[in-house]
Amino acid sequence: MSGPVTAAVVAQAAPLAACAVILLWLRRRPGTAAALAILALTVALGAAVYMVAAVAVPNTSLLATSVWLPVSDGPGLAFGVLLDSLSSTMALVVAAVTLAVMVYSLGYMADDPGFARYYGFLALFAWAMLGLVLASNLLQTLVFWELVGLASFLLIGFWFERPGPAAAARKAFIMTRVGDVGFLLGVLLLIRAAGNATIPDLIAAAAPGGAFTPGFTTTVAALLLMGVIGKSAQGPLFTWLPDAMEGPTPVSALLHSATMVAAGVYLVARMHGLFAAAPDVMRFLLWLSLITALAAATMAMVANDIKRVLAYSSISQLAYMLMGLAAGSVAAGFFHLVTHAGFKALLFMAAGMFIHHAHSNDMREIAGHTPGRQRAGAIGLVAGSLALAGVIPFSGYFSKEAVLAALGEHAGTAVLALAYAGAGLTAYYSFRMVFLTLRGGPAQAPEHRAGAGGHAPEHGRSELAMAAPVLVLAALTLVLGWLGAWFASRLSPGAEEHGALAIGAGPLTALALAAAGIALAWLEYGRRGAARIGFVERMPALRDFFADNWYLDRLYAATVVRAAKALARAARWHDQTVLDGAGDGFASATVGGGRLLAHLQSGYVQMYVSVAVAVMAALAAWLLGGGKLA
Amino acid sequence: MSLPLVLGVATALFGIGLYGLLQRRSLVAMLIALELMLAAISINVVALTTFTGHDPSMGQVVVLIFVGVAAAEVAIALSLFVAIHRSAHDIDVEHLSELKG
Repeated sequence: MSGPVTAAVVAQAAPLAACAVILLWLRRRPGTAAALAILALTVALGAAVYMVAAVAVPNTSLLATSVWLPVSDGPGLAFGVLLDSLSSTMALVVAAVTLAVMVYSLGYMADDPGFARYYGFLALFAWAMLGLVLASNLLQTLVFWELVGLASFLLIGFWFERPGPAAAARKAFIMTRVGDVGFLLGVLLLIRAAGNATIPDLIAAAAPGGAFTPGFTTTVAALLLMGVIGKSAQGPLFTWLPDAMEGPTPVSALLHSATMVAAGVYLVARMHGLFAAAPDVMRFLLWLSLITALAAATMAMVANDIKRVLAYSSISQLAYMLMGLAAGSVAAGFFHLVTHAGFKALLFMAAGMFIHHAHSNDMREIAGHTPGRQRAGAIGLVAGSLALAGVIPFSGYFSKEAVLAALGEHAGTAVLALAYAGAGLTAYYSFRMVFLTLRGGPAQAPEHRAGAGGHAPEHGRSELAMAAPVLVLAALTLVLGWLGAWFASRLSPGAEEHGALAIGAGPLTALALAAAGIALAWLEYGRRGAARIGFVERMPALRDFFADNWYLDRLYAATVVRAAKALARAARWHDQTVLDGAGDGFASATVGGGRLLAHLQSGYVQMYVSVAVAVMAALAAWLLGGGKLA
Repeated sequence: MSLPLVLGVATALFGIGLYGLLQRRSLVAMLIALELMLAAISINVVALTTFTGHDPSMGQVVVLIFVGVAAAEVAIALSLFVAIHRSAHDIDVEHLSELKG
């Protein structure tokens, strides 16, 4: 094995080993478990840095496979490692964000009874995501794809003894499963058609002049897209993501930035050659993600739970990534994925600091607990929101600009205009969040303030564990944005070069819209004496519509869920009445028969004797009469 | 003496024993009745071997074994009755109905 391939194997083996050791032997040793998980992720991060240095910087690619399942008359299913700029960079992002979340959780999850289990699951999550990223084979991708789903199920439902998280975990698992059916079918079709599912082979076969017919490519791309929609919380299947906020906040930070939801976007980037060969699917994806981006932005405008605001913003930003990919630019979509991973992890961690302090997710309540005292949290929230809103020196500006530029070149004016509108909404809701959280509202609670001050010294170390990753990520929001040209040169070779600071009509429009959004948020929430009620919240019907996921959950409850429940009830009836009834009936017939026969046992010896004598007499009479059976 | 006469006596004895077995409520009386039935069978065996021209000693030997077995059986049965009487203070079969279903 060459060096980078060894590094790829090490990067996957370290978290897996940590997960196994923690879950098997270290459940009662939380400190050791956390140290081991962090050590494993440090190793993985080192391996990822080496991979980036060895593969992405010189811009080469490597494919190392070994046959896992030999097939008698075919090439067999080969599992292996596909290393190129895309996968090595993504591996670096995954390892870095997971490590940051693990360090942060030292503070956030301190004293939780499931501390060791939590770190075991985090290591599992890291292993699954790294395996997905580095997979050389689409079947391998599918295996790790499902493992990512499993890990997020376990972490969303980490506090499984409460009904809310348990239900949210189930919802996340089942809703993503709906899309995964399509993914599985797509992979099976590809394996049947191509004999194996090695990713570069598939892309070559899907390219014009390849082995696949256009119709087949379109079918497969549509099926794979179903998996992407479920995993990346797009279109009709996004409602699991806001509910997933029931999990611990660091889990949300991980889930929303580099793992789980990013898996879908990564798959589209990974298989971009195949998707590009199916233009109808790409056009569908473009419009779907555009609608999702706008819809999720409107929902974020009325949510009062800080984590829900961030969840909707994730959906919306994921939609921007997919729009960039659908418009044909891997570099733009992936660039936005990387910057988003940085600032969304930052936002969740900053929000987590406030939540940890105020013991509430509600922004108006957080505002009553002097959030300004958590300086790291305040810095993180503002820096992350500036990046999310797309303000100029922060990372989100550059990546969103790349996406919008790709849309402007390939997608037409209508899409571009709507995407700009979405960017304005993004700025509005992110600063609505900032002002609602940080500007103390009328509901000041002085007694809480005194209590909070008293807590500070004893939590000093955990505060530090939380503040350090937040500050590092806040600094990164100023750095990541300058990588755009680097991504463009590696992922979209031949595309025309935009300077990072190319100020033209497009960027100016975006900046103006962002400024307008922030100004509106300031006017309604930020300024002294502001009503702290948004323009949407003045219209109750619209507010309810937005706050209730556009009534999609109600629609599902009235249709799909109701049908499924009816089916389940029918199955239960069949099980309890028909199957159990047969068993129970047989048993009770036996018991009843026994009861009836028991009456023959009178307990009187003389009765038995007379019966015996009578039978003997009858037998004798029968024998004397000839002894023949009648 | 003729064979029918002896068989008639044996049958009468068997009938008396059966009546006693079914009618008496005391275990001891039932045991006595059972002995009567056993005696009737013994008479049958001796009579049939004697009057049908076989070697009479054959039947007598068998009947002697019957008597020995009956004595052993009585010994066991009486000891059981004593044990029952000790635990239940009663040997009336009407009352000994624990095996009623």
